[in-house]
Amino acid sequence: MYYYVVFYPIEALIASQLEPKEFGMYMARGSKKGSAERLMFAEIESDCSEAFDWEFARSKCVAHSDGEPKHSLYLSIYRVIEQIPLEAYRNVYLVNQDGTTLGLEARDYKASTEWKGYGLYKEHCPVHPFIASSLKPKELSDYIISDTSKKITVPAIIFTDIRSIDLEEKEHTGNIGSMFERDLDHLKECIDDVKGKKGKLTKTIDRSFDSKFTYQIIGEGIYIARGKGILFYPMPNREELKEIDYDWGRSANIFW
Amino acid sequence: MSCWDKYDWEGGNCMMIGFVIIAALAALAFAAINYYGVKKKDPGTEQMVQISGAIQEGARAFLNHEYKVIFKVSLVIAIVLGVVVSLSGAIAFVFGAVMSASAGWIGMNIATLANVRVSNEARNTKSLGKTLRVAFRGGSVMGLSVGGFALLGLALVYLVFGVLLKQASPENLRFHTNWLGISDIPFTMTVSSYALGCSIIAMFNRVGGGIYTKAADMGADLVGKTEAGIPEDDPRNPATIADNVGDNVGDVAGLGSDLLESYVGSLVSAMILAAYIYFSQGTIAASLVSKLVYAPLLVAAGGIVSSMVGILFLLVKKVSDNPHKELNAATFMGAGLTIIFSGVITFFLFQGEDVASAGFALGALSPWVAAVLGIVSGIVIGQIAEYYTSYDYKPTQKIASSSQEGPALTITQGMSVGMISVMAPVVILGVAIIAAHATAGLYGVAMAAIGMLSFVTVTVSVDTYGPIADNAGGISEMARLHPEVRGITDELDAVGNTTAAIGKGFAIGSATLAALSLFSSYLYAQAGESVEHGIELVLNMVSPLTLVGGLVGAALPYLFSGMLIEAVANAARKMVQEVRRQFKADPGIIQGTSLPDYTTCISISSAGAISEMKVPALISVATPLVTGFIFGAGFVGGLLIGTTLSSVMLALYTANAGGAWDNGKKYVEHGHFGGKGSNAHKAAVVGDTVGDPLKDTVGPSLDILIKIMAIVSLIAVSIFGKFNLFALLG
Repeated sequence: MYYYVVFYPIEALIASQLEPKEFGMYMARGSKKGSAERLMFAEIESDCSEAFDWEFARSKCVAHSDGEPKHSLYLSIYRVIEQIPLEAYRNVYLVNQDGTTLGLEARDYKASTEWKGYGLYKEHCPVHPFIASSLKPKELSDYIISDTSKKITVPAIIFTDIRSIDLEEKEHTGNIGSMFERDLDHLKECIDDVKGKKGKLTKTIDRSFDSKFTYQIIGEGIYIARGKGILFYPMPNREELKEIDYDWGRSANIFW
Repeated sequence: MSCWDKYDWEGGNCMMIGFVIIAALAALAFAAINYYGVKKKDPGTEQMVQISGAIQEGARAFLNHEYKVIFKVSLVIAIVLGVVVSLSGAIAFVFGAVMSASAGWIGMNIATLANVRVSNEARNTKSLGKTLRVAFRGGSVMGLSVGGFALLGLALVYLVFGVLLKQASPENLRFHTNWLGISDIPFTMTVSSYALGCSIIAMFNRVGGGIYTKAADMGADLVGKTEAGIPEDDPRNPATIADNVGDNVGDVAGLGSDLLESYVGSLVSAMILAAYIYFSQGTIAASLVSKLVYAPLLVAAGGIVSSMVGILFLLVKKVSDNPHKELNAATFMGAGLTIIFSGVITFFLFQGEDVASAGFALGALSPWVAAVLGIVSGIVIGQIAEYYTSYDYKPTQKIASSSQEGPALTITQGMSVGMISVMAPVVILGVAIIAAHATAGLYGVAMAAIGMLSFVTVTVSVDTYGPIADNAGGISEMARLHPEVRGITDELDAVGNTTAAIGKGFAIGSATLAALSLFSSYLYAQAGESVEHGIELVLNMVSPLTLVGGLVGAALPYLFSGMLIEAVANAARKMVQEVRRQFKADPGIIQGTSLPDYTTCISISSAGAISEMKVPALISVATPLVTGFIFGAGFVGGLLIGTTLSSVMLALYTANAGGAWDNGKKYVEHGHFGGKGSNAHKAAVVGDTVGDPLKDTVGPSLDILIKIMAIVSLIAVSIFGKFNLFALLG
């Protein structure tokens, strides 16, 4: 039995008898409906929170009469990540539209040495904005979760840092998908706002950017933060990915 | 009387024809060596062998099916030729068809053997240079077969009918009347029939192969890549084997027989012109005219020998990791040696002859100068094609940039580039025609076409290397070979795309020059025995029939192209539906737990191509005949001019627009304007999909349309010139 927290494009806790890669394939493609969608999820340990009915999962998530494993049993569909302690998280999985799945292992968080004075972040859960910030990832999660000086906080957050491009040279962007296709002037203004003297720590570039998000533009990796803690799942670079799972990279448009 | 008799023209002929036949046989022997050299290489793992086996089986099944259809059509044409024209015409026609079909068959076979061995060479050696050599060796089999079979066949036709049966002897280069009362010059009918045999195969191979390959390609892309999000050449895509089969039947067999036809067309057009010039200008000496007739064969033989040196050069030297440089080196070596060789041949051949009587302005070297003009203009046209279609230059980059604003502007900008790209090559062709004509009259124009294709052996080798490398890439992906291996085959494939665009420039240019020569011969043939010495060839465009013929002729390529595009769309639609059906019926396909039904997709492409190719191919043969028997020779004259002018423009436009859309997409994929997954990429994919049938089905088929109509008209003009409805009605 496996337990998965899906955090992109929806938030849900799902029990399944499928191992992670099979689960990724099933969620992306479905068994009959012929869907084709990307998703990200993390495997977690069972009984990690009292907020969920683990006994129900164990009793209902059983193989079908023909021996076919139970694909999915939804245990919760909102306010999931706030209930799950960081210690319960295992690997994170990135699933392509064609169902190919890449697993990422957590590493100790270390702030990037290549800091431009601002960062671009895509929040995945519980809300989904694309933001610019003058804060590094750990500082950002602390600010969003624990800074009570502002009106709104969230108990936990999952987000990705986004590769930034030379905004003056749009022709040579590299393979980044459609993330930067919106109003570039607005994007520059947001970056200026967080870099400048206005003292803004974060600025929303777009409230929801899920359809534009692709794995090609993940920078350092994926972050899961709760309370004061943070988990860091580094994204392999091109050379590493070639060795780890070249076919996943092709499906993700990282190789062509 | 023996061929080796002391008569100058016959003795000289035999010596020369011996050299030509030896050159052609040497090319075929070299092809055989390379064939077995590739075949004995290790094909790799069991999975690789299975994949390549499926591709080979699919390609063979299609070509077998296609050749059965061609056999029936050819049989009818051969019988008609035998009854109406002459037995020699019928035999030459069958001979031409067999030579062309053989080259296509061998080329397709070696391509399906070489693809997996190229992939395995990359797997074993991890060396770009060594892998390139295997791919080029495979491609050279097709190049050598095209040159060898085309020239061997024509040389044997010339030897048997021209020399032994004396059709090419000067005293026989005049009108004869057959049992139906139809007058023609037998030798011109015989070699025209040989060219027609090659053209029929080329038309079916190009049209059928073009429909097959694009239907499979579009089917694989539209569902597999766009809807299901699976990458190119992924084994989970049910259409992926059909796509790879398409590369072999379209880009190898189709391309090979297309260029063989162009090559033969250019040689034959010069030989026929020589006969007509002799007949119409009584001032030319008999010894000179026989040399004018066989000079094209000698220049072609020189080109084959030069090409063999170029090919050998690449196969024996230490190959660097720069495939573009290596392939260019082989091509330029072939071209350079051809220039030298043909210069020597021409000088010694025409030295001491009264060449001024044949309208040569620069003495014995006049035909050579015209041929060099053809070679240079071919290279310039190729460079122009590269400028407009390569993503290293502004026009294609601009299309990529327009893709940021969506598919509508991608299409608009691509059309603009395609249309603009027509002018420069046409100007070059115009300059070449005027200069060649000034140098050696109409014969010079024909020699320019020969020059352009004289090193076809090496250019086809390079062109065939492309689809072999493409297939090798597909096999590497399907067999999930190491990324380093796939990187090597991808790099080789990328170079193949550029060489294909340049090859198309040569094909269109030579088709235009050959069509002009054939058209001139048509006018001579139309005039028939009434041709008087010093006649000036004039087509009266003010005549309503000729003018209307011109209008209909100009419209014909659009009808033809429209039918081809619709044929591709029909077959692609069925393919899309089948791939969707398979994905829905068996989710295990996408999950990688069950294998797709590749065979059904191959059958759809195959059946679609076979059923859809017949009407367009038959239109090209039937139109000049039907209109000729109704409206007469003047109408067909206009028809030929209209078709030629319209086809040249359309062929250049479709080839360049399609190439530019294709490479515009590649430019985006190489990390520009957001790269893969961006909206610019989605728009660029639309452009590429629209351009695919244009550049790979329509454009190449138009080259053949021009020549097949000219040859059919040339053969039939002596009949419908006399017997047509308008003439009968008075």
